Amino acid sequence: MNYQILLGKLVSGLIKLTNLGSGSTWPGHIAVNLDSSFNKKLLAKNKIKTIVVAGTNGKTTTSKLIKTILEEDGKKVLQNEAGANLQNGLSSTLVKGANLNGGLNYDFLIFEADENSLPIVLEEFIPDYIILLNLFRDQLDRYGEIDTIARKWKAAIEKLPSTTVLILNADDPSIAFIGKDKKTNTFYFGLDEKGSQKIKHGADTIYCPNCSEKLSFKNIQFSHLGDWNCPNCGFKRPATDISSLPSYPLAGEYNKYNSLASFLLAKKLKINQEAVKKAFKTFEPAFGRQEKIKYKGKNVQIFLSKNPTSFNESLSTVLELGAKNILILFNDRVPDGLDVSWIWDINFEEILGKRKLNIAVSGDRVYDMALRLKYAEIFTHVIEQPETALNEMVRNLEDNETLFILPNYSAMLDIRKVLTGRKIL
Amino acid sequence: MTKWRITIGWLYPDLMNVYGDRGNLIALVQRCKWREIEVKVNYLNPGFTKAELEDCNLLLMGGAQDRQQTIVNEDLKKYKKILSEMIEKEVPGLYVCGGFQFLGNYYKEADGSEIPGLGIFDLHTANPGTKFKRLIGNLAFETEIFSHQPSAISHKQTIVGFENHGGRTYLGAGVEPFGKVLKGFGNNGEDGFEGAVYKNSFGTYSHGPILPKNPSFADYLIEKALGKKYKGLTLSDLDDSLENMARSSIAKRLGVEI
Repeated sequence: MNYQILLGKLVSGLIKLTNLGSGSTWPGHIAVNLDSSFNKKLLAKNKIKTIVVAGTNGKTTTSKLIKTILEEDGKKVLQNEAGANLQNGLSSTLVKGANLNGGLNYDFLIFEADENSLPIVLEEFIPDYIILLNLFRDQLDRYGEIDTIARKWKAAIEKLPSTTVLILNADDPSIAFIGKDKKTNTFYFGLDEKGSQKIKHGADTIYCPNCSEKLSFKNIQFSHLGDWNCPNCGFKRPATDISSLPSYPLAGEYNKYNSLASFLLAKKLKINQEAVKKAFKTFEPAFGRQEKIKYKGKNVQIFLSKNPTSFNESLSTVLELGAKNILILFNDRVPDGLDVSWIWDINFEEILGKRKLNIAVSGDRVYDMALRLKYAEIFTHVIEQPETALNEMVRNLEDNETLFILPNYSAMLDIRKVLTGRKIL
Repeated sequence: MTKWRITIGWLYPDLMNVYGDRGNLIALVQRCKWREIEVKVNYLNPGFTKAELEDCNLLLMGGAQDRQQTIVNEDLKKYKKILSEMIEKEVPGLYVCGGFQFLGNYYKEADGSEIPGLGIFDLHTANPGTKFKRLIGNLAFETEIFSHQPSAISHKQTIVGFENHGGRTYLGAGVEPFGKVLKGFGNNGEDGFEGAVYKNSFGTYSHGPILPKNPSFADYLIEKALGKKYKGLTLSDLDDSLENMARSSIAKRLGVEI
């Protein structure tokens, strides 16, 4: 195993040296090819505690919240790099983190798993903690239906021993369904705040995952998250171990869930309260997720918006923050999903209403997005090149104004390069 | 001048809206509104009355997840007779993916079991199972079925969209294909056909959603719907330059001519 680590580190170093770009998964790919049980062996050899974070929206922010809390408490944390969330990603992370003797000098490993990779990752190792945040429609061409994902997750989770601690979102019926038959070590976070009474378009899980009847909602935070119950079989929102916090480190309803999840995990890890408080206070957003950047002396803030729920919530949040200038960047590359139909599930009409905002759209599928907004009767500037669009929008920005950028994934990476002058991946 | 009125029926909006197909309704509603045509939308969720269905001049049905599809199929059976009659009477409709399949004769699962369809479209669908790849990707097909001006000579139109289906549909003698595949798989990836047309009802695998980027087709459906009520009607032109930019932009990338 040690020579695989050495080889992996050499490859990793070579890639960095030659600036070939994303070397994230090559080292791991090589290690696993040389020894298919590399991950299992390395983790077994070390006393590192493992935390897996999964869900459609919020993985990166939640992982960063947890990392910040743990590091504030003096713990050493290893985390997989952005986008490297498959088996290769796990082994690459381990290769990078291990010393040549196969030792992992870290207290915790945080692993962000995407919808498809969670069941695969759970075959690689048994995590000590799993956080399941939510399931929303996202890249149907890549991930398929939510019901299918939920079923695969449930099957994978059932196989885990009762020693794995599950931290689940009570407000998401699909997630609650996954924890339904677990008797021990299963804890729930939810949000007890006055929301709305009406389910809006775009909510996915409005039918009971247990018996398929239509769910009833006493309160809805957003999408299908809230206080739900099935009038037919009685399945309902489980009692929560936590449902509010005195303050939250980030704006937006959706971030309350991420905060509650991290807080609950910290409680189970018995992290001292002072460390958690300080972490929340000093928390710096993850890249692209409410990240603030100064560009040409002007204020810019990025809100990654990659599926209908994510976009709806970004839009609502920036409006709450007083947005007057918005730049939408829309691509259809591999990490974004090739199918652009989902933009018609964004509730532009309802959220923007008749507000007069300065909106520009750009990106590979600029015309599709512009068309969507035309049909919502919202006027936009249509500019093919993102960098041109950025410069135009920023040029006339007042000093006390912010340009809010709502990109999907690859567009976010590209615009960050322009804004920071650096590559991230 | 009489104000024109149209009633659009959206079949199972709560259950069958997983794929941005709401955009088809939005496109129709706005294109009517912009021409000062009064629009009423009947949201036909399970338990709707027969009157609400019969009231409709134009029908729309989208795609759904498997579980939701099953619920819809059970419910739609109750309206089989009325829906058949409406389709025979040439009430126009757009049936995307799941709706398209269920209007056929049957749907054959991977294990060989057959789920009877409504038998309105002469076609059947077979799903070979998860060991076979799903038919996913950008889709472009050529159709001569309609043209914008009712009196115009039929000409070829290119439709662009996106498909994502496991089922392979095979047409019988009683339906026409909607079009010929230029890019993508179409009904089954074998015979080069996309969709199906029977009277004024269109079945298709194209998401996209199909109507916003293909405004001629949207207008064709509106014209057919209104033409039954108001003789000799022609729709005024709308500025479709953005629609055409969006359509040609993706067509160019696919190497398809518009």
